[in-house]
Amino acid sequence: MDLLSVRNLSVDLGNFSLKDISFGVPEGSYCCLLGASGAGKSVLLETIIGAFRPKQGKVYLRGTDVTAWPPERRRLGIVYQDYMLFPHLDVRGNIAFGLKGQGLTTDKIDPRVMKISRQLDIEDLLERDIATLSGGEQQRVALARALVTEPEILLLDEAFSALDVNTRERLRTMMARVVREIGITVLHVTHDREDVWALATHVAVINDGEMLQHGTPEDLFRRPRPGHVASIMGAGNIISGEVVSETGADLGIVLANGIRLYSSENLTMGSDVTLSIRPEDILVARDESVISARNRIPVTLSEIKRRGPLTWLTGRSGDLELIAMVTSSGYESLETSPGDMCFFIFKASSLCLIEENFQKIVLASNFS
Amino acid sequence: MSNRIFKAALGGVTVLFSGLLIWAILSLILMPEVSEFVESTLSEEMLYSIRLSLFTSLISVALVMVLAVSIGFVLARFTFPGHNLLRTIVDLPMAFPELVLGLCLLLLFGHAPFGKWLQSMGVNVVFSKYSIVVAQVFTAAPYAIRVVYGTFRGISPRYEMVARSLGCGLLGSFLRVSVPMAKGGLFAAAVIAFARCMGCFGTVLILAGGTRMYTETLPITLYLNISYGNLAMAMSSGIILIFISLGAIIVFEVLNQEVVL
Repeated sequence: MDLLSVRNLSVDLGNFSLKDISFGVPEGSYCCLLGASGAGKSVLLETIIGAFRPKQGKVYLRGTDVTAWPPERRRLGIVYQDYMLFPHLDVRGNIAFGLKGQGLTTDKIDPRVMKISRQLDIEDLLERDIATLSGGEQQRVALARALVTEPEILLLDEAFSALDVNTRERLRTMMARVVREIGITVLHVTHDREDVWALATHVAVINDGEMLQHGTPEDLFRRPRPGHVASIMGAGNIISGEVVSETGADLGIVLANGIRLYSSENLTMGSDVTLSIRPEDILVARDESVISARNRIPVTLSEIKRRGPLTWLTGRSGDLELIAMVTSSGYESLETSPGDMCFFIFKASSLCLIEENFQKIVLASNFS
Repeated sequence: MSNRIFKAALGGVTVLFSGLLIWAILSLILMPEVSEFVESTLSEEMLYSIRLSLFTSLISVALVMVLAVSIGFVLARFTFPGHNLLRTIVDLPMAFPELVLGLCLLLLFGHAPFGKWLQSMGVNVVFSKYSIVVAQVFTAAPYAIRVVYGTFRGISPRYEMVARSLGCGLLGSFLRVSVPMAKGGLFAAAVIAFARCMGCFGTVLILAGGTRMYTETLPITLYLNISYGNLAMAMSSGIILIFISLGAIIVFEVLNQEVVL
């Protein structure tokens, strides 16, 4: 049974609504709720915590319907992007806030505050004023304040987004360690897929108030639904074609412009398929014979974008457009420029199935 | 028009108005002899008036703050049908002339069923010292509500949501988070309410009557003495009111940095 379960949840806030959201967060998992700004991630999180009353649907905790419960009964810890540390209390006062509310005495509060402070490496900050802390320090204090009360689930709302790249990476590493040590279940709202790769055991993608897809990061990485999920997961290249033949272990797929590709996916002959190739799985070469991968597409380079250590190459073959990602040093050794011909080469196993449409086969069998 | 001429025009208007205002205040403060001011201030009538003004204003401020914190928090945190109507209603007395507000209160506490019911319970508000407090509360409350509302609006409700996720009920999060975080704005509201109560004239005059040495607050002292031609007493009460208002404005300006009106 999922620790947290959301069923058919709809929330109407006048100018924005969540529509029929259903998903579950298994106990001990780290679930990332991924979506662009304005997708409805924070509204969903705040509905789970009890800030908004849903128009319909239910929120369950350990199988108990908590939809009508006030936030203080749900035992969910929350950390916001902008920390929300109480400015009238020092670091110790902030961390101890929830424990004092439970009526615990100082001799019971202090050891717990010290323990969580050690785990988050902030024991030297306990007597400091909130206003004197850096962003990363404030975020660790906010985490300590939420974790010290031992909530059922820790909810993170864009918790690392306001931090610089290096601090964010350090916090991800620390977060992974603390989650492992404490064994807490986490629901982390983010727009940054780096959070997914670094931390998530489960991921759900939300857009415009609708849940589009959820599963393991590997599922969504390999088989994102076309459109928004593929885009936000960085799938890069989405292509469609028809499964036409079998060659050894691989199936042949003919694209609309006649290009034939090979996939090691378990496909059904005659079906229409949508597949993805990740840009980093494509090798770029001037000569196709140097690499043994089965799929080799001759392309004309139409655009080259250098981004520090990585370079993105856009290649066209008829109306097919593919993007490949190579290291910048690899690109320099290619000695190519826009307008040049080269080959985009990838393995049959790199071509991942997103969607398979059996309608054509069913129609064919009806006629026969 | 060039930038320089435009800036000079704006600066000219600002300097002209503030100069006239300072001149008007100084002409009152510098008019009486120091001995005249001291003698008037220490007179039995003035001391009674100061004591009554301070006593009623302090009681009124306490009542105003209970109203302002409750209504300001409701307006800032909850959405409900009639929210905007309630905001307009509580702002109304600010737009009324004080005399009109006094007349409304005179009818409510005098001839209306509510007033008659109070009288049947033995509480006679009109033309008594109670009515000074009532008049001050109704005059000052809208200003305090506006400041408190702005203060709570300036505090993200997510602070309270964090407190509630940590186990606080609505009352707990209000007392342990909202009020301490709003303390600067609440104090500023109390200061502005105190200044309004001390200076409340028209509402007090209509509801309490301007009876010498009974319902005589500082503005009533000024009014009565200028009517009798006793200019020294009138000016002394005016100067005392100016210093009280000036003190209130300075405290308010220092404290209301975070208030979003």
